[in-house]
Amino acid sequence: MSTPLLRVEDLLLYYRAGNHPVHAVDGVSFTIEDRGQAVGIVGESGSGKTSMATALMRMLPKNVESFRGSIQLAGQELTTLSDDQFRREIRWKKIAMVFQGAMNVLNPVVRVGEQIAETLIFDGMEKKTALARADALLERVGLPAGIGSRYAHELSGGQRQRVVIATALVMNPELLILDEPTSALDVSVQAQIMNLLKDLKEDPGISMIFITHDIGLASDLCDSIAVAYAGQHVEFGSADRVLVEPHHPYSSLLLSSLPRLHDPAPPVPMPGEPPDLTHPPAGCRFHPRCPYAFAPCPVIVPPEYRVEDGGHARCFLNDREIAGDRYQIHLQATIDA
Amino acid sequence: MIAVEDASVVFETRAGIFKSGQVHALDGVSIEIGVGETLALVGESGSGKTTLGRLTLRLVEPASGTVSFLGRDITHDREQSLGWFRQRAQIVFQDPFSSLNPYMRVWDLIEEPLQIDGVKRAGERRERANAALAAVDLIPTARFGSKYPSQMSGGQRQRVGIARALVRNPDYIVADEPVSMIDASSRIAILSLLAKLQQERGVSFAYITHDIASARYFSDRIAVLYQGTIVETGPVGTVIDHPLHPYTAALIAAIPEPDPANRHRRREVVPGEPSPSSTAPTHCPFYSRCPRRIPGTCDAARPALVEIEPKHEVACFLYSSASHTPAGTP
Repeated sequence: MSTPLLRVEDLLLYYRAGNHPVHAVDGVSFTIEDRGQAVGIVGESGSGKTSMATALMRMLPKNVESFRGSIQLAGQELTTLSDDQFRREIRWKKIAMVFQGAMNVLNPVVRVGEQIAETLIFDGMEKKTALARADALLERVGLPAGIGSRYAHELSGGQRQRVVIATALVMNPELLILDEPTSALDVSVQAQIMNLLKDLKEDPGISMIFITHDIGLASDLCDSIAVAYAGQHVEFGSADRVLVEPHHPYSSLLLSSLPRLHDPAPPVPMPGEPPDLTHPPAGCRFHPRCPYAFAPCPVIVPPEYRVEDGGHARCFLNDREIAGDRYQIHLQATIDA
Repeated sequence: MIAVEDASVVFETRAGIFKSGQVHALDGVSIEIGVGETLALVGESGSGKTTLGRLTLRLVEPASGTVSFLGRDITHDREQSLGWFRQRAQIVFQDPFSSLNPYMRVWDLIEEPLQIDGVKRAGERRERANAALAAVDLIPTARFGSKYPSQMSGGQRQRVGIARALVRNPDYIVADEPVSMIDASSRIAILSLLAKLQQERGVSFAYITHDIASARYFSDRIAVLYQGTIVETGPVGTVIDHPLHPYTAALIAAIPEPDPANRHRRREVVPGEPSPSSTAPTHCPFYSRCPRRIPGTCDAARPALVEIEPKHEVACFLYSSASHTPAGTP
């Protein structure tokens, strides 16, 4: 097997907050096999999605208690690089990120073209060449010619988000992390941005990590999907499998809690409330909300059970020996629904 | 319950120190909401859906047209004489993080409207607050009543917002994007709660949302707004399954439902974005973005809402040649 573009293994990130560490990322593993593929990280707020992304960018806050695990980009281990090396070689150059709400923090007094060119000029490029490159990028993200000389406030929301995407692409990164890039946009504009991201996956073949709470939106772009819950990925696998045959009850409950356009049947509300990450539940983190929980769930942390598509699910129901008659009970429930 | 007839709302804007402008937030809009009925007001930002919701609560005054509640015209009633209406019509706000005073306990938040209404006995106020907490499933009520908003999740805070509206036993509630700031997995729990309250108490709702799929679940009828006008209205299932107006169709086509086939196809999108209008539109407001526009027709006059099939109305020249005539024109 060839080296995957990105391999994240057993990533762990705890914050200090008062007396208890916050388990923001707690043993997360996933891969992006090829160039131009996208993985969706789907989860509710507080599931550790954004923390995982800032860990990949190594833009960590000061109150980090521990940060461990392995991140390999095209075979290169990133966690052992010095901060200086990471800044010079990786951040923005190989991994770039579109932050949530970035479209609202564009510099209001600098023309958008100059904002993009700034990075290139700082990197040693001549101003004229840099501005031309910025214009080419703005055109690449679907903006009309001449927009580079406008100010952020003159642009619509969708146009500003395109500028932010162009800014992230300026150093030709291999991997682009997008944190809720459409959450402030109307659906019709959201669809335009999603089409742009689809184009960028194909040409120039940028790989993406797409962070969202909307699993439907993730399915619009992503080849594989990780379902995040309380700092862990309870399930990871191909979009073709996770969306159709989830192997974790949280994933299937998430899918059945969404109202469907052309199905008048009422969706099923998700039971319970999200957990407190300073005191995550013992055993399986989802067990207090899980309708299928049984004896081992509150006690033992379920391992990542392999699933046939190469993904994994952290749920004892995937263990024929432990689950017995319960084996695949939730799968059946999904199919019935 | 509520009727709005041919109402227009114009806001004055300040474009600079000397300049001022106007935004036509609503233009010739009519709606009716029956007893125990939910009408979804769907549209994108700037469509006028929130203004229309607030107009039904008489939080804004129309430039023309009328608003009536239970058959009584309240269009120009002064605030002092609207006391009875303020008790019977309530609002649930979009943002449960900023709409609750962080220094007040949940009990105090819910009892505040009763205090304003002059319920003097503290015991009675607490009793009614607890009943409201129980109605929104914040049980045990003593545990949740003594909390501060910051100690609760977004979903729980929104339940407090609903309890605050319920405690006055209203007949009509405007729910202004009540779940848009809550995690997708908790949204349905809140909407089913509203649906349950409606069934048990027969409350009428205006459900303001940009999420057309959730409207299917929690509404009887739907009105799709675009730039201050209603472009299509009808029974919620009919409109979503058989949209007539190109804008409604585009809005529905833009929604990604979980489907592994999605990523292999580009989404059909309408180009551009809506921009606020400073003059009342003289032609179809969707003209510049419409994939099916008829030059010479759609940019020459404004289409009127016309009933195409029972209760299903659309304002589009593809279906009818009728033009909109503003109120007051013979």
